[in-house]
Amino acid sequence: MADSKAEVQKIDETLTLRVADLARLELSEDEVRTFTPQLRDVIGYVEQLQEVDVSGVEPLTHPLEPGDSALREDRVEIFADLSTEGYRVPQIL
Amino acid sequence: MDADKLQTIRAIHDSFDKKQASVVEVTRHFLDSVKKKGGKDGLNAFLTVCENRVLERAEAADQILRAEGKVPRDRVPLFGIPLGIKDNLTMDGVRTTCGSKMLDNYVAPYTATCVERLESAGALCLGKLNMDEFAMGGSNENSAYGPVLHPTQPERVPGGSSGGSAAAVRAGLCVAALGTDTGGSIRLPASYCGIVGLKPTYGRVSRYGLVAFASSLDQVGPMARTVEDAAILFDVMSGHDPRDATSATVPKGACREALRKAPETQAEWNGIRIGVPKEYFVGGLSAEVEKSIQSSLRWFESKGARVIPISLPHTQYAVAVYYLVAVSEASSNLARFDGVRYGVRPAEAENADDLAAFYRKVRAHFGPEVKRRIILGTFALSSGYSEAYYRRACQVRRLIKQDFATAFEKVDFIAGPVSPTTAFKIGERISDPLQMYLNDIFTIPANLAGLPAISIPSGTETPDSLPIGLHLIAPPFQEERLLSLAHAFEKRGAAP
Repeated sequence: MADSKAEVQKIDETLTLRVADLARLELSEDEVRTFTPQLRDVIGYVEQLQEVDVSGVEPLTHPLEPGDSALREDRVEIFADLSTEGYRVPQIL
Repeated sequence: MDADKLQTIRAIHDSFDKKQASVVEVTRHFLDSVKKKGGKDGLNAFLTVCENRVLERAEAADQILRAEGKVPRDRVPLFGIPLGIKDNLTMDGVRTTCGSKMLDNYVAPYTATCVERLESAGALCLGKLNMDEFAMGGSNENSAYGPVLHPTQPERVPGGSSGGSAAAVRAGLCVAALGTDTGGSIRLPASYCGIVGLKPTYGRVSRYGLVAFASSLDQVGPMARTVEDAAILFDVMSGHDPRDATSATVPKGACREALRKAPETQAEWNGIRIGVPKEYFVGGLSAEVEKSIQSSLRWFESKGARVIPISLPHTQYAVAVYYLVAVSEASSNLARFDGVRYGVRPAEAENADDLAAFYRKVRAHFGPEVKRRIILGTFALSSGYSEAYYRRACQVRRLIKQDFATAFEKVDFIAGPVSPTTAFKIGERISDPLQMYLNDIFTIPANLAGLPAISIPSGTETPDSLPIGLHLIAPPFQEERLLSLAHAFEKRGAAP
């Protein structure tokens, strides 16, 4: 894991441009100048999450509980191999 | 026709029944108001008006009215009711901009499930409402089509991102409207404009036809003058939709019926426990807002409800979690605006050297807040950082959800303010994104946990009579109980 506190200090115009490039965004010079300190502010602010004890906490990516939204029952019908937890497919290698 | 009487669904249906107005007359009245006050020279709330579409439907409704003699309320609960639709929800053949130049010329080829259900129930959609670009903002200053003005104090913001919806309802340009709420975008403008705004439980209303901002947080909901009208809209559009994989397999709402069971007797009130989180009354909360919320809580106590101090210990981390989760999901969702799948295709992009260069030219057409959030999200998900930022945010999100689950073992509802302040002035906060984000502190937790929550007018702040909203939050899928409590609160001033 990156040392995120040190990363906040490293947020400079080069990093803004690099991330913008990853996102396929063209920024004007003005935008780079304005966004860089704003990004530093926000990333600095979210640093407080580092102080929370999250050991053993499973990430929650979605608010629905399992079963709340199933369109239908999951059913294994083909390639079923009920003797294991997986299912069998033809050899590919 | 008495225009002042056309404020609620019930009142409009009564005037149809008494032959005081035809559906076409009522529709024309609203279309005229939209033209006079809703456009660029007015509140700037409407981006598109569907005059022909809506008048055709109004004429068809009049034929039904003539044939049946009265409003078929049970079969068609929104018969002839003029609504406004936030411009991130699709309507077949209607321009859908999301408040963005990126979708300036986009005409949707299908209708969102929620809109389709409203129209099947008789609603007349007058047009599309202005919003912060891609629903990113809390003030409506981020629309590519200019800010919406506050309906009573035009130098102020109406709140966002469903600011067009809130302003239009408050100003009487439509009877009710649809908004969407990712971090408070229904409740905040409802609070600033003095109307009712419901964010349903995540999954209770289909997101099919909603342009995605943050898929695990976005939810469509009604904005109206009264709890009853919000309940009617919610009942019609809620319920499972096979076209949305995250639509909950829970029956549609029965809120209108539930309003009749709103607490009245002492014994009924004694059974209600309202939790008040100490974390919702902290620095930054304006004195006037706090006074109004406290006096609302005293009213509940005076009726016999138990008001119980509680703690939601991870509240202080909610904004940080939200601004990692929401921007991460947005950076992924907005990848589709590339000039090939979706998005404008500007002349300067045609001569680009390669596809990546083409994308950059196209995506330069996003507004500044959208670019800022895409960059933040791309950063939070990028290799080497995603463990420290995105994954950790999702872990703390679970702790926030657990805080609510623990609290709801002891209380039935949670109450507090919607926003730390009333509507602020246009331009006052736009240069400091972080300060703007912190304004969402009270609304964000319900989105992270997927809970239903409502903003309901609780009072006003002197000297400009700026509205204040009371925030009520309920356990998942308990909209019926939530709306019936809100209904009781709404009637508090009325004679018995």
